[in-house]
Amino acid sequence: MRSPLAPLYQAALWLAGLFMIALLVAIILSILGRQFDFYIRGLDAYAGYFMAAASFLALAGTLTKGDHIRVTLVISRFTGKSRRGFEIFCLIMAVAISGVFAAYSVKMAWWSYKFNDISSSHDATPLWIPQIPMALGIAVFFISFVEELFMVLMGKSLEKPADELARTE
Amino acid sequence: MDQVFIAGFLIAALFVLFAAGLWIGLGLLACGWIAMAVFTSRPVGDAMVTTIWGSSSSWTLTALPMFIWMGEILFRTKLSEDMFRGLAPWMTRIPGRLLHTNVIGCTIFAAVSGSSAATCATIGKMTIPELRARKYPEDLVIGTLAGAGTLGLLIPPSLIMIVYGVATDVSISKLFIGGVIPGIMLGALFMGYIVVWSLLNPGKIPQPTERYTLKEKIFASRHLLPTVALIVAVLGSIYTGIATATEAAGLGVVGALLVAKLQGSLTWQTFKESLLGATRLSCMIALILAGAAFLTLAMGFTGLPRHLADWIGQMGLSAGALIVVLMVFYIILGCFLDGISMIVLTMAIVLPMIEKLGIDLVWFGIFLVLVVEMAQITPPVGFNLFVLQGMTGHQITYIARTAFPLFLLMCVAVALIYYFPGLVTWLPNQMIGNAAG
Amino acid sequence: QTKWDLPGAYGANSFHTKNLVLFAEDVKKMSGGKLEITVHPGASLFKAPEIKRAVQTGQVQIGEVLMSNIENEITVFGADAVPFLATSYDASVKLWKAQKPVIDKKLAEQGMTGLYVVPWPPQGVYAKKDINTVEDLKGTKWRSYSPATARIAELVGAQPVTIQVAELAQALATGVLNSMMTSGSTGRDMKVWEGLTHFYDTQAWLPKNLIFVNNDAFKKLDAATQKAVMDAAAAAETRGLAMSKVETEESKADLAKNGMKVLPPSPALKAGLEKIGVTLTEEWIKKAGADGQAIVDNYKKM
Ligand code: NA
Ligand code: NA
Repeated sequence: MRSPLAPLYQAALWLAGLFMIALLVAIILSILGRQFDFYIRGLDAYAGYFMAAASFLALAGTLTKGDHIRVTLVISRFTGKSRRGFEIFCLIMAVAISGVFAAYSVKMAWWSYKFNDISSSHDATPLWIPQIPMALGIAVFFISFVEELFMVLMGKSLEKPADELARTE
Repeated sequence: MDQVFIAGFLIAALFVLFAAGLWIGLGLLACGWIAMAVFTSRPVGDAMVTTIWGSSSSWTLTALPMFIWMGEILFRTKLSEDMFRGLAPWMTRIPGRLLHTNVIGCTIFAAVSGSSAATCATIGKMTIPELRARKYPEDLVIGTLAGAGTLGLLIPPSLIMIVYGVATDVSISKLFIGGVIPGIMLGALFMGYIVVWSLLNPGKIPQPTERYTLKEKIFASRHLLPTVALIVAVLGSIYTGIATATEAAGLGVVGALLVAKLQGSLTWQTFKESLLGATRLSCMIALILAGAAFLTLAMGFTGLPRHLADWIGQMGLSAGALIVVLMVFYIILGCFLDGISMIVLTMAIVLPMIEKLGIDLVWFGIFLVLVVEMAQITPPVGFNLFVLQGMTGHQITYIARTAFPLFLLMCVAVALIYYFPGLVTWLPNQMIGNAAG
Repeated sequence: QTKWDLPGAYGANSFHTKNLVLFAEDVKKMSGGKLEITVHPGASLFKAPEIKRAVQTGQVQIGEVLMSNIENEITVFGADAVPFLATSYDASVKLWKAQKPVIDKKLAEQGMTGLYVVPWPPQGVYAKKDINTVEDLKGTKWRSYSPATARIAELVGAQPVTIQVAELAQALATGVLNSMMTSGSTGRDMKVWEGLTHFYDTQAWLPKNLIFVNNDAFKKLDAATQKAVMDAAAAAETRGLAMSKVETEESKADLAKNGMKVLPPSPALKAGLEKIGVTLTEEWIKKAGADGQAIVDNYKKM
């Protein structure tokens, strides 16, 4: 079945895509700046923030498309009940890890706000601002694992797209 | 705490988590967590997010998503068809004939693509049907494509070099330029293999169906122009210093969009697919890098890398012996892991040893890229194998067997750069020297 | 026995790191082995921008930072990076005397204590041509890596360029960059002679590294061990200053040996830079408020 939360993951993925475009614009501006003598303070730092936002916001969308890699060599030899056991083990681990990851990311952004933590490079950005997309993205990632674990435990399975070509490396 | 015990424990933990099918990035996070929680008294969670934030928002790494995006755009253009049309007329006289389009096609495409699997998929999309239609021997079609696709990593731009450069603070531009000569050399080795094979097996290579005059050949080469223009834009801007490697990646995206536009293959649909595809692939790598950044931090707290480096130092291993040991180690690891995980996972341990022995870091980067290339075509986990399985329907074991001679040639390439390190270091030094003069 | 981790951002061969290692050895000796500090050089544990936060939140007990890296957050940390305010080792020591009470107060507010500081060699101007007046810097491509260096570029009409350290050698060689301001020793480590030809020893400022502890971690030590840390810190401050001076002379000699012209600034260049310095000091005081004013006033009285 199709995940009822799919629009959430898709929206986060699209937001990540927009940050990719922002990253491209930042890089192009820095090249143009040198050729045409203008200078935007802290552009390199902004590029870094855009990349981080794109990376973390896309986590859930990447997961539901089956693009996060894992070693299936061993588990692909199992079918039926034992295979389901592996899947549940993995999902429980994933829920735990992503949950802790999400909680501490929220805490980091909150403490950055509380401590008034400011970037030490030219941009002087209060760090809690770029840390929010990170916390948000990991939280959505956590939600997607919870949903999948819930579905598997209920005996349903979410539709998985056929593996696209791995064009990674 | 006994260092051997810590090392064994962590390796076992990683092995269990990976084998159970846990996503690699999460497995690395879990392992880092265990390492810190069990072997140190430091607060784990805060350290984890602090270091992940630092590494995920680092400017140097921004080249990675950009080169991935560029590859995604080019995959959706007619660039590979154009390249086949431009190259084929030149190959009719060489022993092996059109088989060389695999190698030369991959060599050229490698100069605009940062990845091995993308190179393999993009070139294969065109050459496999064409070569099959002309009844070329299947093992050679598949094997040379699998092997030559790995040039995507050695010939710049290269995702692996970016990951390595960021992990070790080595200039990515220097790494890129350092890969050029070894890349061309490896391409030449592959072509030599095709020539020798064809001479040993006369009659297995089909006769050419078309004949071309020189004029026709030159005219057909116009199809190569978009690719050449992209290469000049990306590598040229790095070599002349107009752009750093990161900025060249941005230029590459714009260039690829232009090529797609000029060819008429840029639609809203292909733009959207390339953007979201690139976002997902970058995200997949980012999660692994995040996990590795934290695991590296955790290992730093346990003191394992330092002790291991000291230990290797005390063993009095020579640089040559260490390289041989590492090569065997990486070949085994490469059977089971993807290249990026392989590098980020081992860098914290290996780098101190390398520095201790005074091995040139640019040279070592190129060495690592070569072993990662081998990993692309060794079963059971090899990205080029997966790609070709998807494209041809052959079993992975069959594809790996056809690519095995090329695997051996990569070992030869490692030996060559070991005995002639200038193959790697000459061009980057030249770049610096020339411009300074 | 207590174990501390000390993350540092500078390489194992840097004199700062060598001093950290000696400090750690002293602490171990003076505390009778009760406190052992492991130095993690070269950003092998935390990266430079993360170290202050790591100490503040107790992820590590002790750390080393370049003080001006904290300037965006707490302006008074940047007093030593105000160009042409304190332009010699003696002046730098005086400035630290004026700065220290304010820094101590700020660190205490965040649950930390400063142990000692060590200055970097003074900052000079690197270029590819003769620079006789500040006007000669106009239009050069100037490396800007901090708010102060970016502001200098604006004031002299140079074009600020942001380049990461790893790409610097190539940027110098290919002319993406043809002038910058940094210390003799950093320039030597970057092999700037591959791209640049002149070094003007302007002694614009002497940035300092600060070694500081988390108070919770420090309070857990017994009184004798606390005293051992403080004594070792005092020794490290004296030793670090001497090491820095040696480093300055050696690095200038190395620059000259590799074919660079190592020159004192001409009177005209010096005057021009000092004028810029007055502007920058005023701007800095405006940003730093009463605390900043007090530091500058006290320093000038010494
Ligand atoms: Na490439
Ligand atoms: Na493999």
